[in-house]
Formats: sequence, structure tokens, C-alpha cells
Amino acid sequence: MITHHTILGVATILYLALFFLHILYFATKKKGVVQAAWYCLWATFVIQTAGIGMRWVESYRLGIGHVPLSNYYESLIFFSWSISVLVIIMKRRLTYPAITFAAAAFSLVLMAYASLAPGVDKVIQPLIPALQSNWLHVHVITCFIAYAAFVVSFICGGLFFFGSGRVVPPADTLDDINYRSIIIGFSMLTSGILTGAVWAHYAWGSYWSWDPKETWSLITWIVYALVLHLRMTGGWRGRKTAILSIIGFASVVMTYFGVNFLLAGLHSYAT
Amino acid sequence: MTATRSNNGKESEPAARPGSIFRFLTSVRLAIVVLSLIAATSVLGSVIKQGGTEEEYLALYPEKTYHFIKLVGLDDAYHSPWFYFLLGVFALNLVLCTLQRIRRLAREKGAGKKSVPDVKALAAGGSGFTVPAGSREEIFRRLGGSYRKKPISDTAILYEKGSLSRYGVIVIHTSVLLILLGGLMGLLGGQKGFIVLHAGEETNSAMSRSRGQRAIPLGFTVRCKDFRVSFYPGGEPKEYASDIEIADAAGKVAKEGRIRVNEPLSYGGVRLYQSTYGMSNLFTFVVDGKRIVLGEQEVASAGKAPFMVARYAAEVHNFGPGVMVAYMDGQEPKTIWFLSKVEKMKTHMIEGSTVTLEKIDGKYYTGLEVARDPGVPVVLTGFGLMLLGLYITFFTFHRRIYVVDEGDRIIVAGAAPRNKEGFLEELKKLAEGLA
Repeated sequence: MITHHTILGVATILYLALFFLHILYFATKKKGVVQAAWYCLWATFVIQTAGIGMRWVESYRLGIGHVPLSNYYESLIFFSWSISVLVIIMKRRLTYPAITFAAAAFSLVLMAYASLAPGVDKVIQPLIPALQSNWLHVHVITCFIAYAAFVVSFICGGLFFFGSGRVVPPADTLDDINYRSIIIGFSMLTSGILTGAVWAHYAWGSYWSWDPKETWSLITWIVYALVLHLRMTGGWRGRKTAILSIIGFASVVMTYFGVNFLLAGLHSYAT
Repeated sequence: MTATRSNNGKESEPAARPGSIFRFLTSVRLAIVVLSLIAATSVLGSVIKQGGTEEEYLALYPEKTYHFIKLVGLDDAYHSPWFYFLLGVFALNLVLCTLQRIRRLAREKGAGKKSVPDVKALAAGGSGFTVPAGSREEIFRRLGGSYRKKPISDTAILYEKGSLSRYGVIVIHTSVLLILLGGLMGLLGGQKGFIVLHAGEETNSAMSRSRGQRAIPLGFTVRCKDFRVSFYPGGEPKEYASDIEIADAAGKVAKEGRIRVNEPLSYGGVRLYQSTYGMSNLFTFVVDGKRIVLGEQEVASAGKAPFMVARYAAEVHNFGPGVMVAYMDGQEPKTIWFLSKVEKMKTHMIEGSTVTLEKIDGKYYTGLEVARDPGVPVVLTGFGLMLLGLYITFFTFHRRIYVVDEGDRIIVAGAAPRNKEGFLEELKKLAEGLA
């Protein structure tokens, strides 16, 4: 029987194909390959969306229906999906394949990790009472769009040190895409933190409790607030912005992965 | 500068000092330093255990490290005096920065509306174009939709859009201040506590969560009429809810309702949250013919000598559930096990009284979080303002377009300081299809 696991498996293979299409382009430098890669990304996106939708439907068939945004496995899938959404939205600016290549690699790693890592539980679990809230959707969606935007920002920051060419965009373009990703990420992260705080107010009786996840999201927020201030008032560009976006992403990684594995707290659903 | 100062240092220093301190307090540099320190404290606070007991710390760290943590207040980093100091400096800096920005904006407001910049130079630089006079009406039509029109002279008109964008930063900074203010209000006027009730029980106080565990009087009585929990087939809790009745100081029922997770009940500025639930055991004893019901750690004084339920065990050496009872044999404390499933172990003599364990019942209790936080409305207003501020700062931008009539031709040119690229795209669209 075809379940959502099958469909998401196909999506993972398509991400792999996307990855190799980019490598093919780097080898041949044929324009048509880039076009093919974009078609592939579209197909992947549609298939992955269908997979997430099927998991949603299947959860209702099990009598424990809920949007698939509630545990670690579902968050990994949604993270990789968010990266693709962002790449598609920013398509017009991403004319150099290095960024889409790195984004595809990120999505691929997330999907592969979600389906292969033994520690990730792939079973549809029922929602515990604390998660039965409409705030869940808006909180998770805003947070992961933010994470995805910070992935793009990190990619731009990293590519800065590779030197531009036909594949890697020039420093100015990287800086511009980086900045745009950061403002999307920062706005979405703010929305995520604030919706989380409102939700915590209704669920736990306190809008802020210095839970490790909350604390690290605040640290991440401060890092990107500093990036924006240094850019706007200190005129930081280029290398400095690139380094800052790498530091910011380290904080994102800590917020998403690190906290779950290294620190104990209230957000333990995600492990 | 340095030379002048050292030459007549005595006169200039007293005058310069308040000025330079003020400049330092209003600087973005200070904001960056303070924010970095707040972030660094948060990192330490998330890595070092917060609010633990001495034993817990000593189990984790060497004694010297523990003393250092205690000395610096890192065991409660987010409530340490220096963290409050950092937040205070941050707030002051934010107030001053924001006031300065408002002043600067007010000064700039007039500029650009009365005089026309060199549109020819702007157009030559790429941020403008020239069209024949015949396209005048079409340009006005295209701009008229979303731009605000401000005639400057007979031949020049200013079109403006997104001017609110310049105030976005002020809105965001004000929202941060509101959130800090709301937090302070909660800190000063707020209280948090915890209530544990079995169905049928009531209380008029909550236990404080902070150290010391003192009771906080509520000013009203909370009665738990019923508590229910349902489970998924897999055993995970699906829903748990308490039916609560609140009686005011006079004893009259003032409010009734069901509290679920995510659905608190509020009364008189206090919110009650469904936080946890659990099962505790009730032990029915027969002491010299009298039946009594005890909870864990409760003392019975029905017999000749008092005894206490010291400990419950679900399984005692494969003999089923049992309860350890403690009593005093003269000056000597003694314990004895009652096993509910073993006939011989059901009855014991305690200091001349016959004590029989009749049954052990498990009974659910509800755990309610109680919070009073007068700062919440201020914080929530801050949240709303912050999202609004972010939207107008980052997703709208201010641009001015001047349309200058030069008789046979029209020059359209302008500027958008914050989003040059977006503005140029907009100009391109504006010029599309014009002769």
C-alpha cells in the first residue's frame, strides 16, 4: 500500500536527483541543466507537499487527526519543505545555482536524517493536551520559515568565502540575498517567538519561563538583531555580514537541534 | 580634539563629561554591547542549572565552581542583580535612541517637500526617466493609484509612498520597551502558585513555586467539583480537565467552569491553568473499630497512639501493594508494613490498638497553576506593536518621486534610501510603454 512514507521517500530521492543535477551543471555548464533543476525542484515540492498532506489525512484515519507539525520527524520534514518554499519564492534572485545547490543539499540531509536516523520516531503520534491548540500551527510554521530563511542566509555567508564565478554570485548579490533572507528570517522568528509566548501564556500560565528553547530563540533573535543594527548603523557589509550570518546560523542550529539533545526543558516534544 | 582638550582640560572637562556620557548612553555601540552581554548571560543561564538545590549543584560541579556560581548569581541568572542592571541600561539606551530618532525625523520631515532636488542628475544616475509631455496624464494616472500627491510648485509635483516606513524602527523599539515594562509589572505585582486538589476538595490558598514554599492567600475559595482524564488507546493522555467552582470571600459561588489544558479560567485578575494531574493513594484503616481514610504523610490520631502513613509501594516483595506506617514506641521511632493482599499482614497491633488496612484506593488529583500578572496586557500590546513595526520597517519602504514639467517633456525621478533595487524596478514598471 502506498502510504505517506512512500511518497516522502520519493521526495527524498527527488532531492537527491536535484543535488546531482546541480553537480551535472557544475561539470557541463549547460544552461538547460539549470532549467531541468528548477523543474525537478517544482516536482519535489509538489510530491513533498502531497506526502505531508497524506500524513495529515492518515492521522485522521487513525482517529488522532492533527496537522503533521507536532514531533521531531514532522518538524524535520517541514523544515526541508520550508527551505524549498523559500527557494521557490526567491527564485527571481537566485539566478546563480550555487545557492539552490546548497539549499537542495540541506533539504536532502534533513529528509535523509528524518527517514534514516534510528532516534527519529516516524510513527504518527497522538497530540498530547498541551499541543492541542491552534497556536501550534502558526507557531511552528513561523519558526520553520525563519529557520529556512536563516539557512539561505548561512548559505550566502558561506559562499562569500568561495569567490564568485559562474556558479557563485558576486559579493554584492550574495550580500543582498543574505540581507533579504535575514529580514524574512528575523520577522518570522519574531512572530514565532511571540506566538509561542502567547501560547505559553494560555497553556502554562506564563508567557516566558526561560526554558532552554525559549532562551536560545532569544539568543538567536539578539544575534540577528545585532546583524541588522550593525548593517544599518555601522554599515557592515560583505565579509563581516558573512561571518555574522554564520554565527547566527550556529545559534539557529543550537536552538533547533542543540537544545533538544544537550539541554532539558519544556519543549521536549521535538526529540 | 585631543590637543584642545589637553590644553585647557580643566575648563572643558566638566562640560564635556555629561555630554560624552549622554552620547555614550544614546549610542548604538552601547546597545550592541549590552545586547551581546544579555545574550551571553542567556547562554550561561541555559547551560548552568537554574534554581537547583545545593546538593544538585554539588553533584554537577566541583565545590569551588559551585561557590563561584552562587557568588555571581548564575544559579538564577535571569533574576540576578546584574542581569536586571543590563536590562535597565538597555531600556535607558533604547529610550534615548528612540527619542533622538524622533527628533531627527521631525527635523527631516520638512525637507524634500518644499524644494525639488536636481531631477536631471537623478535621471542621469538611473533613478529616473524623461518622457514627452504627451504622457503626462498617463503618468499621473499610474502614480495616482497608490501614491500621495503633494504639489510643490506650478511645474513640480511630489509623489510619496510608504512614508510610514521611517517610523517603523520607532514602533519596534517602543514595543520592546513595552514588553520590558510589562515584564517589570509582572515582576513587581505578579504572583505564581500551585494548587493540588482531589475532586470534592477546596482551598483558599496556593503554594508558592519560589523557594520557601509559602502559602499565598487567594482571597477566594477554589473547589474542584470533578476531575477527569481520558487516554488514547496507546495510553497517552488525551485530555484532562477540572470542573471548578469559585466562591468569593463571603462564600457565594462567583464563577463556575471547566479548566482544560490551553483553556484557563480567570477570576478577579487571577488565572487558573490546568497544569498537571496525578494519582495519589488513599488508605482506609480500621482503628479499634473506627474507619479512617488517610493520604500519604497524613497522621492518624484515632488509636491510643498516633501513627503516620510513611510510604506506599505498589509491590512489596511480590506480595502486592503495601504501605509503611510509622509510629513512636515510647521514644523510639518504629515502622511496620501493611500489605493489602496478604491476610496476615493486614492487621497489626500499634501501641495497644488494633489497626487493619482495609483497602488502598488510587484517586486522581488535579494540579492547577495559579498566576496573577498585571503586566500581561502591556506585554501583549508590545507583541502586537512589534509585529506591526517589523512589517512597516522591512516590508514597506519610503520613496519619493518628483514629476517635473519642462514644457515639451516631463522628467520623472526620485529616490528610495532603504530599497534602491525595489525602487528601480518600480520606476521601470512606471516607464513601461510610455513613448
